[in-house]
Amino acid sequence: MAPLRILTAVPICDGHDSAVSTINMELARHGFEVIYLGYHCPVSTIVRAAIQEDIHVVGISSYNGGHIVFFKEVVDQLRALGAGDVPLFGGGGGTITKADERVMQRQGTDRIFHAGTPLDGIMALIRKEYGRTLKPNTKLRGDRALARAITLAEQNPTHRPSPIAHHPPQKRTRAFVVGVAGPGGAGKSTLIDELTSRFLRQNPAGRIAILANDPSHPDTGGAILGDRVSMIYAQDDRVFFRSLATRGSLTGLSAAAPAAIEILRASGEFDLILVESVGIGQESDPFGLFGKKHRLVDAMLFVLAPYYGGRLQLQKIGLLNGADLVAINKCDHPMAHTARAEIAARLAANGKGQRLFGTVAAKHHDPGVDTLYAALAELGHLKVTPGGEKPCQLEVAP
Amino acid sequence: MSSLGKIADAVDAYNAHVATEVARARTDIAFAADLRARWAKIRAGIETTHSPTGTPLPRLALPPTDEPGAIAEYLLGQGLPGEFPYANAAYREMYLDRDSEVGRVIPNAPVGAESKDQTRRVKDNPPHPQTPVSEEPMRLFAGLGLAEDTNARFHYLGKHQKSLRLSTAFDGPTLYGLDSDHEGVLGKVGEGGVAIDTVEDMTRLFAGFDLTRKDASVSMTMNAPAPVILAMFIASAKRRFGPDCVPNLRGTIQADMLKEVQAQNEVIFPIDASLRFLCDMIEWCVPNMPRWYPVSISGYHIAEAGATPVQQAAFTLSNGFTYLELLRARGADVNAIGPRLSFFLDCGLDVEYLVLGRVCRRLWAIGMRDAFGANTKAQVLKLHTQTSGRSLIAAEFQNNLTRTAVELMLAYLNYTNSCHSNSADEPFTTPTAKYATLASHGQSIIMEESGVFKHTMNLLGGSPGLLQLERQVEAGILAVFREMDTLGGVLAAQEQRYQRSKIQEAGHAYEQQIYSGKRPIIGLNKYITDEPMPSVPLARTSPKKQHLQVERLRAFKKKHAKSAPAALQKLENVARANGNVFAELINTVEVCSLGQITACLTNVVGKFRPMV
Ligand code: B12
Ligand SMILES: Nc1nc2c(ncn2[C@@H]2O[C@H](COP(=O)(O)OP(=O)(O)OP(=O)(O)O)[C@@H](O)[C@H]2O)c(=O)[nH]1
Ligand SMILES: [Mg+2]
Repeated sequence: MAPLRILTAVPICDGHDSAVSTINMELARHGFEVIYLGYHCPVSTIVRAAIQEDIHVVGISSYNGGHIVFFKEVVDQLRALGAGDVPLFGGGGGTITKADERVMQRQGTDRIFHAGTPLDGIMALIRKEYGRTLKPNTKLRGDRALARAITLAEQNPTHRPSPIAHHPPQKRTRAFVVGVAGPGGAGKSTLIDELTSRFLRQNPAGRIAILANDPSHPDTGGAILGDRVSMIYAQDDRVFFRSLATRGSLTGLSAAAPAAIEILRASGEFDLILVESVGIGQESDPFGLFGKKHRLVDAMLFVLAPYYGGRLQLQKIGLLNGADLVAINKCDHPMAHTARAEIAARLAANGKGQRLFGTVAAKHHDPGVDTLYAALAELGHLKVTPGGEKPCQLEVAP
Repeated sequence: MSSLGKIADAVDAYNAHVATEVARARTDIAFAADLRARWAKIRAGIETTHSPTGTPLPRLALPPTDEPGAIAEYLLGQGLPGEFPYANAAYREMYLDRDSEVGRVIPNAPVGAESKDQTRRVKDNPPHPQTPVSEEPMRLFAGLGLAEDTNARFHYLGKHQKSLRLSTAFDGPTLYGLDSDHEGVLGKVGEGGVAIDTVEDMTRLFAGFDLTRKDASVSMTMNAPAPVILAMFIASAKRRFGPDCVPNLRGTIQADMLKEVQAQNEVIFPIDASLRFLCDMIEWCVPNMPRWYPVSISGYHIAEAGATPVQQAAFTLSNGFTYLELLRARGADVNAIGPRLSFFLDCGLDVEYLVLGRVCRRLWAIGMRDAFGANTKAQVLKLHTQTSGRSLIAAEFQNNLTRTAVELMLAYLNYTNSCHSNSADEPFTTPTAKYATLASHGQSIIMEESGVFKHTMNLLGGSPGLLQLERQVEAGILAVFREMDTLGGVLAAQEQRYQRSKIQEAGHAYEQQIYSGKRPIIGLNKYITDEPMPSVPLARTSPKKQHLQVERLRAFKKKHAKSAPAALQKLENVARANGNVFAELINTVEVCSLGQITACLTNVVGKFRPMV
C-alpha cells in the first residue's frame, strides 16, 4: 500500500505548534507522508489543501479555544466542496473536553486525541482506522478529480492516466511548463511563491499549478512535505498546489511527476505549471533536458544562492547548462556581486542566450523578481496586464 | 565571528580571571589581607533579625569562611547580591520583609558594626532608580472574555495582593493583529485572553485603576502588534489621566519578536519589518516613558515549546544581545538601552532550574560589561519568571498545585524579580477564579507564611551542588553560543531554522520520554489512582459576548469612518518614509482599530512567510 498522506494544521489565531510538530515527526518516523500547513491556518487553506493534496485524513491541533466552531467549519466547507468523505480528527490536550468531543462528533469530526494519549497508540490507531487505498472515482469533479488522478499516478507511476479535461477542446488553455531546480535552500519555493503572486496579479482569470517535490526519508519512507506551508500568495483557489514525496526516486522528482505534469497539461485548466525539484546536486537532470530522454518541461529556471563555493564549484553544476533562465537569489548576501559576475561569465561562455537575474525572493515587491517574471511571461507568452505591476492588496489573514 | 563568539570568549576570560585571582589570594599576602578586611567589613554590615520563634538570623547569609581564596571566589565568581556578576541577585534585599524585626547583633560580628540605617546601605549599593530595593514579586497573568470581564478579574485578584500588579493576556485575534470581526475568528474572540480591538476597549480594561500610582505596574503579553497595543494604552491613559501622565506609566510589554519567530509563532510582518517596528517603539519609550520596560526578552515560550533549560537560556540571552546590537546599529547607547531591557524565563521541575536564573544573570552581566562595554546599571538582568505550564497535566490535575509550588520555590531560589504562578486548571482552560486564587495564595504562602525568604537573603544560595550545576549549565549555554556563532550569529541561525529545529527536537524527545515512561509523571505514567476525572469548570466566552465585541468594534469604525482613512494614510506615509512608526501610532489609534492598522502596515511591508 502506498504511504498514507495526512494533512495537519493549527487553526487561525493559534500558534501552539509544539504538539503538532511532535505528531508530525512521529508520523514521518512511522512512514506517513505529512503535508503540514503550519499554525494560524484559516479553514479555507485547510480545505483547499485537503482537496488538492488528496489526503487520507485531516488532523487539526487546536489550543486557543473556539475548536467546536472551527472544526465544524472545516467539515461544512469540505462537504460543500464535495469532499465530505475526507475524515477529520484532532487534538488539543486538555482544552478539548470529552463533552466537546461529543458535540464535535455529532457535527462530523471523527475523534479527538485527548491529553495523555500515548504517541504509539495514536500512530497505530491512525494506521488502522485511516489506512486505505484511494480508488479511482468518476464522480469526483474539478480539482478533486485532478488530485485523485495524481494520487493514482503516485500509486502506479508507469500507468498513463486518461486525461481529465475540464473544458471543451476549444476552451482549453495551453500550459507553459517550467521546471525550477537548484541547490537545497537556494530559495526555489520562495521564488515560486513570488512568481505566483505576479502571475495572479497579471492574469486576473488565469490559473497556475505548482508541483513541489520533496524527499522521502530513506529509512522510514515517511516525509514532511514542507513547501506548501511556506507559500503566502499560493494559498489561493486559482492555484493548484500539489506536494509530491520522492518515494525512493533519485531523479530529483517523484516518479509520478511526469504523469502529474501530463494530467495538469491535459486538463486545459492552467496557463502556467511550475515544477519544483528537490534540492539538487551536481549531476542531476530532473527534467530530462540532456540526452535522449523525454523532455518534461518547456523551460527551466535554475535558482542558486551566491554562496555556491566559488568558480570551480560552479563549473561542476551541469544542470546550469540546461537552464533558460538563471536566478541568483539572495542578492542581499554580500557574495552576490562576485557570484553575478562569475555566473554571467559562465553563461556567456555557454553561448546559448541564457538569461541571468538577480533576485531577493525574501523581499516584499523585489524589482529583481519583477524582471524575472517578465522574462518568464515573455518566454511562455503569458498574458501581461498593463498596470498589473501595481502592488496588490494583501489579505491580512494568512 | 559574530558577537556571540566574543561573548563566549569574554565569559571564558572572566572565569580565567576569577581563577587567577583565587590563586593570587592564596599566595599574595597583601591581597589576602585586603580581601579579609573587605569580607570583615561586609559581615559587620549585616543586620540581625529574628524568626517568629526567636531564632536570631543574619539578613544576609554568606559562606562561613575566612579563607582568602574562598572569599575571592565568592566575591568575584558570584558577587554579593546586587553586585557584579550578580549570580546571587539583581539587588541587595529582594524579598526581605522590611517590617520584620531588624537590629540585633550577629554573635560573630564585631560589636558596634551593625547598622539600623537602611538608607546608608542603599547608598553604598544604589539600586536601579526606578525599582524599589525590594518589592512584591507576584504578578498574575489574567485575561478572558471582553475587556470588562478581565477588568473584573483584575479587581478580584487585586484583593489578594499588596501592590497593584496587572498582567494582561490577550486573545488569539488580538495577538495576531486581527479585528474581532475578521472572517473566521469569531469563535476565538475572548478565548485564552481578552479581546482588544480599539482604544475604547483599552479604557474598559483598566477602568477603576490609577495607573499613575507609584506602586502600579501593568504588564502586557503582546508581541507582533505590541506597538499598536502600547499606543492604545498610552492614548487611553492620556484620556484618563491627562496628557502629562505618560512618564508616570510603569510596566512591561513583551514585544520580543525573535522568540516569536523561534517559538511562539505570532509574527505578522516580515522579520526585518517586525524588528524595525519594535526598535521604533523601544526608541520612543526610552526617553518618553522612563518607568516602562519596552521589551521582555522571553525564554518562557522557547521552553514551553519544548526547549531544554540550557537551550532556553542560550536562545534567550543571545536574543537579548541581538536586540542590543540592532539598537546600537541604529545609533542607540548601550547604557541607555541596557537598563530598559527585562527578561522572562520559564521555571520547570528539571534540576537545571535550580540555577537557571543565577547563571543567566551572570552571563548577561559579563557579556554586557566585557563584550558591550556597558556600565553597572546596564549589566543587571531583571528577571520575571513563570512556572511551567507544560509541566501541568490533565490527569489527576490537582497534583498541579504541588508542581507549581515546587517550581515557585525554584524560581524564588533564583531570586526572580517578579513571578507568575500557573493555576492547577492550566491544562483545560484560562484559569477560573478559584484556581487563580489558589495560584496567588501559593506565592503568598511561600513568601509571607514560610520563613524561607523573608528573614535572610540567600539562605540557601551558593551550596556546593548548586555551584557545580551552575558551571555545567553555563558550559552548555556557551557551547550553544559557539554553535550559533559558526552559523553566523542569531539572525543567520534563525534563517536556517537552527533554533526552531532544536526546540522541536527537544519537544519531541520530551514527549517520547513521557510516553516511554523514562520521565516519571505522577498520575500519568506512574502511581495512577483510579479516581474518576472530576469535571473542571471552564472559562469560555459566550457567543453573545463575542457578538457584543463585534458590535462595539463596528460602532467604533462607524463613528470614525470619516477620519480613519486620513489617519491610516498618515501612518502609511511615515512607514514608507522610514519614520518612527510608533510615534505616529499614538495618533492613529485614536480613530482606527487594530485590524485596520495591521492591514495598513501589511500593505507597506508585506507579510511574514511562515517558518515551521
Ligand atoms: C506549551 C503551551 C504554550 C506555548 C506554545 C509553544 C508552541 N510553539 O507550541 C506558549 C508558551 C508559546 C503558549 C502561548 C500561549 N498559550 Co499556551 N499552552 C501551552 C500548554 C502549557 C501545553 C500545550 C502543549 O503543547 N502540550 C504538549 C502536547 C504534546 O501534549 P497535549 O497537549 O497533552 O496533547 C496530546 C494530545 O492531545 C495529542 N494531540 C494534540 N494535538 C494533536 C493533533 C493531532 C493531529 C493528533 C493526532 C494528536 C494531537 O498529542 C498529545 C499527546 O497525546 C497549555 C496548557 C497545558 N498544560 O496543556 C497552554 C494553553 C494551551 N495555552 C493557552 C493560552 C491561552 C495561550 C496564549 C493565548 C496565552 C496568551 N494570551 O498570550 C498564548 C498563545 C500563543 C499562540 N501563538 O497562539 C491556554 C488555552 C486556554 C483555552 N483554550 O481556554 C492553555 C490551555 C493554558 C491556560 N490554561 O491558559 N502556550
Ligand atoms: N536572505 C535571503 N533569504 C532568502 C531569500 N529567498 C529565500 N530565502 C530564505 O532561504 C531559505 C530557504 O528558502 P526556500 O524557498 O525554502 O528554498 P528552497 O530552495 O525551496 O529549499 P528546498 O526546497 O529545501 O531545497 C528560507 O529561510 C528563505 O526565507 C533571499 O532572497 N534572501
Ligand atoms: Mg523548496
